[in-house]
Amino acid sequence: MKLSSFRYLVGQGFDNVWKNRVMAFASFCVLLVSLLLVGISVLFYVNINAIIGGIEDKNEVIIYLLDDTSDERIGEIGETLKAMNNVSSVTLYTREEAFADLKANMSDYTEVFDSLGDDNPLPDAFRIRVADISRMSETLKATEQIAGVDYVSSPDSFVELLTETRRIITIVASAIIIALLIVSMVIISNTTRASVFSRRREISIMQSVGATKGFIRFPFFIEGMITGFLAGCFATLLTWFSYDSLVNLLGRFDVLSTIGFGNVIPYSKIGTFVTLAYVIAGSLIGAIGSVLSTRVHLKYRAANM
Amino acid sequence: MVELKNVSVTYESTGVEALSDVSLKVEDGEFAFVIGRSGSGKSTLIKLLMKELDANKGEVYVNGYDLIKLKKRKVPEFRRTIGVVFQDYRLIENMTVYENIAFVLRVIDAPRKQIRKRVPYVMSLVGLQDKADCYPSELSGGEQQRCALARALVNDPALLIADEPTGNVDPELAYELVELLQGINACGTTILMVTHAHEMVRHFGGRIINISEGEVVFDEVIGGAEVEAQ
Repeated sequence: MKLSSFRYLVGQGFDNVWKNRVMAFASFCVLLVSLLLVGISVLFYVNINAIIGGIEDKNEVIIYLLDDTSDERIGEIGETLKAMNNVSSVTLYTREEAFADLKANMSDYTEVFDSLGDDNPLPDAFRIRVADISRMSETLKATEQIAGVDYVSSPDSFVELLTETRRIITIVASAIIIALLIVSMVIISNTTRASVFSRRREISIMQSVGATKGFIRFPFFIEGMITGFLAGCFATLLTWFSYDSLVNLLGRFDVLSTIGFGNVIPYSKIGTFVTLAYVIAGSLIGAIGSVLSTRVHLKYRAANM
Repeated sequence: MVELKNVSVTYESTGVEALSDVSLKVEDGEFAFVIGRSGSGKSTLIKLLMKELDANKGEVYVNGYDLIKLKKRKVPEFRRTIGVVFQDYRLIENMTVYENIAFVLRVIDAPRKQIRKRVPYVMSLVGLQDKADCYPSELSGGEQQRCALARALVNDPALLIADEPTGNVDPELAYELVELLQGINACGTTILMVTHAHEMVRHFGGRIINISEGEVVFDEVIGGAEVEAQ
């Protein structure tokens, strides 16, 4: 194909958007709604995950050591814990620190602590954080096996609740997103097919004067891509505005920060990704949808000639 | 050149035999009228010559192409060697007169210089030089038909097929259109004109191919009065 023909066909694609503006607008609306449905679902899932992740990060396991554990052995236990692959951080919490914290937290019972004198009843301990809380129980079992460890204290039931919540949310969100994708594809496919069908006469004329399939399809490809691109841009603007407004509105309620709302991802961090995802997905779906519908139509015509 | 050898076409969906053992030959530079009643097989003949449908039996040659053996990917290339004028014009509604005509040249990747030169020439040939920027909906029936004719002629086809070109225009314009086609034929283009306007065929005379119930029942070069006798 010559450059002049290429330019002509691209120009035709742009012209066709305006000339067939009613169908182009219908495709634009369908694409916009589909992109928004899927995009908002993904953003909702990502944020729920971030909130749960934030709560998980605050989980701490305390490993209490036996009373007569030597400093050398404490050092070795620390190294063993650091070497474990699901342990993200290890902090030694000495019996002196623990006793001082206890005294500070229970200042009303100063007399009781004074009666103990220098006799510190608390053991040395390690505070650790696990990287993947779904593997917490196996990590805990491994730490219990280490010589010198007395017992392990962890928020087992809370961790299980979080893990289960995340699992359910993942399944439900994935199912919703897949269902929305399928519904969107069906609607988009029908809309583009209707758009192509409304121009079947134009296509048949092109064929009768000797236009190749590629020559016929290319302007439809450009037209679909432009419609998809515009839908992607519009979806970005709508998402940006509504996301920011919602985050600002909910941010005013202090109570929400207690359930991890502070971990909601600000739009500035995901804006570029969201824009690219919308624009690329919109352009691709628009272009491919148009080409496939034209292709189906041309095949149908060829079969029924 | 158009040649059909013992061609039969049966529509699978209805089982109707539209053409039955048809043989005919139209030499380069000829002008032939194809006449016949509705349902006689004229439209099937046109579709066959455009490779819009295939014969069940026989051989079809158009402009040196063996249409029975022609591969699908070669069909656009073949169609560029023929020009077709339809009764319902088949103009692209959202293109101007100029764009409708130029479209055929764009399809064959013609240089822009050639398009700029050829399109105005063909428009002047059919008397549409002042309507370049008009859309089909802004033209009269006769003007639309002349636009369709200009589109069929713009790539200088060896064969021009006119399917009932005078069907939607008034008699005066119909005669003008045939005279225009005769002028084009005089320049060497083979013309096959399908019509049921017997009055007009009587007026012009020439080679007449009469199709009835899928068979060629008459094929001769005769004058007006003799046609009516058939």
